Parts: sequence; structure tokens; C-alpha cells
Amino acid sequence: MAPALQFDDLLPPPGDAVTALKFAPSSSSKLLVSSWDTNVYLYDIAQTEINQSPLITKFKHQAPVLDVCFGDDDNVAYTASVDRCVNRIDLETGQITVLSKHGAIASAVVYSAAHAKGILVSAAWDSTLHIHNIRDLGSSPIRVALPGKPHALAVSPSKVVVAMTGRIINIYDLNAMRDLFSTGGTDLKPWQQRESSLRYLTRAVACMPNDAGYATSSIEGRVAVEWFEDTAESQARKYAFKCHRQPAPDGDGDIVYPVNALVFNPVHGTFASGGGDSSIALWDAEAKRRLRQYLKLPNNVAAMDFSNDGKYFAIATCPGFETGQEDYSGVGLTNVQFRILGDNEAKGKSSK
Amino acid sequence: MGKKKRGGHPDIEEILGRPWCYYCERDFEDLKLLISHQKAKHFKCDRCGRRLNTAGGLSVHLNQVHKETLEQVENALPNRQGLDVEIFGMEGVPADVLESHRSRLIQNFYQAQEDRRLATGNPLPGQTQNTRKKITIETAEELKARLAEWREKRKNGGSMEGVAATTTPAFPQQSFGDSIPSRPPPGVPFGLPQRPGDGVAPQADDIDNLIRMAEARAAADAGEAGAKASKKDKEKKGRMIYDDVDTSPEERIAALPRYAFAASAA
Repeated sequence: MAPALQFDDLLPPPGDAVTALKFAPSSSSKLLVSSWDTNVYLYDIAQTEINQSPLITKFKHQAPVLDVCFGDDDNVAYTASVDRCVNRIDLETGQITVLSKHGAIASAVVYSAAHAKGILVSAAWDSTLHIHNIRDLGSSPIRVALPGKPHALAVSPSKVVVAMTGRIINIYDLNAMRDLFSTGGTDLKPWQQRESSLRYLTRAVACMPNDAGYATSSIEGRVAVEWFEDTAESQARKYAFKCHRQPAPDGDGDIVYPVNALVFNPVHGTFASGGGDSSIALWDAEAKRRLRQYLKLPNNVAAMDFSNDGKYFAIATCPGFETGQEDYSGVGLTNVQFRILGDNEAKGKSSK
Repeated sequence: MGKKKRGGHPDIEEILGRPWCYYCERDFEDLKLLISHQKAKHFKCDRCGRRLNTAGGLSVHLNQVHKETLEQVENALPNRQGLDVEIFGMEGVPADVLESHRSRLIQNFYQAQEDRRLATGNPLPGQTQNTRKKITIETAEELKARLAEWREKRKNGGSMEGVAATTTPAFPQQSFGDSIPSRPPPGVPFGLPQRPGDGVAPQADDIDNLIRMAEARAAADAGEAGAKASKKDKEKKGRMIYDDVDTSPEERIAALPRYAFAASAA
């Protein structure tokens, strides 16, 4: 029997359901958690080892915060919030500045510091992307119209993947974005436009740390893995599989849960999926194997992340939203937890 | 590692075939392991650590080497500590103990199997849920009698509905004779769809008619089965906790009053 794979709590938990959870780029123990309670929480797991509260501070916004990401270093963060704003937070002073305002709720932000570019991409439900040049904050962002409402956004070392309504997936090239900054152009064409490999609404996207491809998940208990390279061989490698399902209690078919979160391990290149069935599984994308399944969690998995050195694995759990639900609240039912990964816990299987 | 059976549950012969220790009821992969277990746990001298082959041997050893007497077998179940039985591996186990062990194993095995069956809803191994209809075999006489009966009914203006069309392919059956128990009268009507132009059909070949009806029924059965299968497939897809293909759960939540952002506050 494998040892019990349990998670420890980070206390106090956020005041309401969690929307995103991200580890810092330098320190492996610092993480940001954004919540529906309008706050962004900064935790440091290392504080638990010296019996201090891991909650360093929180940053109050005007409206619920739907996404958060770190900037160049551990002192800068960017958020997307329900008040349509894309914000920059100075984590040292707590100062929040609005970078741009979308025409609808801003739902996601990603930041890329690769090749000293400093590009912040935000997505909003008015089907637009805003591309911010962080090296020149005075300039107004480039606005890019999308063919559909964005539901998930992820960044790899060279690409940005946007998953939208209508099963459209646009892949943008970061170099093309940087070129726009220097030329002053505003017309950004996707590097590739693809149809989602999944039949239902995309829930999450995550890019492989080696820049080779990405994984998507849908509301219908399924995960797809595909590669960027646009050759017949690479495209033939793509696959999808079912997961996060449970046999119905009456024995008739399965109950299918959404796969809310995907994240790749930066060290081993394996990835984790977290679903509405309150479980997390680790997968080896190359070997097409499940590595392990963690013990059942108290609630739906809303967000997850690995620390930059692959040491920590943090997760956020809160109630899930079901079809037809009239009201929703994650108050008192939200948890942020972490575990220290074993040396080989997230390591892929050697192909036999 | 021994060969593993599919499903991971050993069958009863495998369980009964395992050697087990009289003193502590533990069972082992093979006899060698059992003997080394007994020497280590039950026949080991606690003075010098020597491992003897039997309890009697240990008793003699203690007596001669350490000038002590062995009172009981170590690490044994309370009722098995006695020195009166000479045990070596599976040899020397009294017949009644052997029998009670065996019956307990069998009882446990079937209990576990039943528990699994209840838990999983699967049929027991070797039992299928195949409830295929038994082929009814009619003698030539019975077939003729039924045909005559059908003709009679038809002549009297009865519809086809009264016909029991349990035909079987006609094959030589004369050798069966009286050994076949007589069938109950074919009185159960089948809900067959009425064939078009049935009432006015001329006195066609009756056998031909019967065959066609049997075909129609088989086709109807197959159709129904097909419909059932496809329906099941659809249900197999499962019930989705969240099934809106255009709107994400976050959009739904953001639309709730408690999370709405008041523009005036901006």
C-alpha cells in the first residue's frame, strides 16, 4: 500500500470560493489565492514550519477576483476581477493599480517573462484579449477581438493558448505580440486556430513546461493532450481520455464531473487534474498513464499549482456549481491545502 | 509471485489447498514456508534460539540441554497450546480440527463471494446472466395439431392474433417419440402487428405463412433489442453535473446577486 497521500491545511482559509491559485516564480513556498470574497491572499507555506500563520496578507479588491498571476518576481501580481479591471498589485506595499478595463468581466490573466518580454495577457467575457507591455506601463494595451468567449487561458514559454465557447482554441505566439509592441501594430492573428478535441465546454488549459504542447479539460469529465507542432506525426499523437467520473448510486451509468483544474509539474512534466468529484489524479502525458490518485478531498477541486521547484503541491477546494443551481456560496466550505511531494511522487513512469 | 487469477479473487480449491499452521491458523504459500514458520514461532528454544522440528523435539531439547520442562507451545492459540499432538507441517493435525478449519474456510469464502456479489451486482463467477429462452421442441404430431388448430381458427374468421407462432425450424424429430413431455396448449396470444391484407389473404401456403410470421417476430425482437442497446449507450454517457456548453460555472456564479459588482461603487 502506498502511504496515505494527504494534504495539510493552510489556515485561515479564504472567506469564499477560490478562483485561482498560483505559486511564486522565485520562492517555492509563496503562493497567491484569488477568491470570490474580493480578496487575493498571499500565503507562505514555509511559515507553517516555524509555527507561524502562513497567511502573510490579503489584498482587497472592489469586486470578486477571478484570476491571479505573479509578475516578474515575487513582489508583483496581476489580477482579473468582476469589476472588469485588470490590476497590478505591488505585494510589498499593497498598492493596487488598474492597468486596463475590459468591456465585460475580466476572467483570466497570464504573464510571460520569457526572453525578457514582460507580456501580460488578460481575457474577458466580452470576447477580447488585452495585451499589456509590462516594460512600458504607460502605453495602452493592445485589444484583440476573439471569435468566442474565453473560458481558459494558459501560457507556455513561447505561446498563449485561449480556449473559447464554440470549442474554438486559439494559439498566439508571444514573439508576434512582442513585435506588435515595437511596430505599434494592433492586428494580432492567431499562430494557429484549432477545434477543441473535447466535445463540451473547455474548463481548463495548461501548457507543458517543455513548450511542446498543452492539455485541456472539459465540463464532461475528459482531458485531452495535444502538441503545438503542426505536423501530421505530432497531430496524430493527440489523445483524450475520460476521468473524474463515478458510477451512479443507482448503478445506471456514470455521474460525470467537470475537470476544473489542470497543472503541469515543472520538474517532471507530468500533470495533475482536479475535478468536481473532489479528487485529484496525476498523469504522465507521454506514457499515457495515471501515476496516482489522491484521497478523496472534502470538496470540489477549484484550483491547483505546483511550486516552481516541484516541491510543493497546493490545491484549493470549495463547493462546485451544478446545472440548475439557484444560489451558490463557498463561505465556510473553502479550503487551501498543500503537500510536500515525495521525490518520485510526480515522476513519470519510464516507458518499458 | 504466483500466478494471479483474473479479478484477483482465488477460487475455493486454491484456498483449501493452502497449507496452514495448526498452532496459529495462519496459512502459507507452500509447505516449506509453513515448516520454517513453525520452527521459528512455535518450536524455537527461548534459551538458546535453536529451532527444533516439533514440539516434542523442543521438549526433549529443553529437558536435556537446559534442564527445563516445556509447559506449552509458544505463540499458539489458547486451545492449541497442548503438547499432546505431534505436529510437523500439516502432518499430525487431528481430523476434527482439519474438518472444522476446512468448513470455516468454505463458509468464509462463500460469504465473501456473496458480499462481493451484493456490493458489485455482478453475477458469481461461472454464472452468467444469460436467460436465453429454451428452445421448445415439438414433435411432428404436435406441430401438425397446432397447424390444424390454426387453420380451424382462421376458417372461422378469427384474426391472426390468436396464433401462437412459436415455430421452430422443422428438423427430423420422429425419433423423439413419447420421451418428450407434452406441451401445454398454445393458448397465449402474441401481440403481433397485424399483417397488411391479412383478412383477405387467399389460402396461401400455410407453412410459408408461419415462416414469414416467425421472421417478422424475430425482426421485431431484434429491433426492440437494438433500441434498448442504443438507449443504454446513451445513458452510459452519464449524467453531467454541469452541462451548459456555452456558459461557464463562473459566469453563472458572477450573475448571482451576492457576487454582483455594483457599478456605482466603481
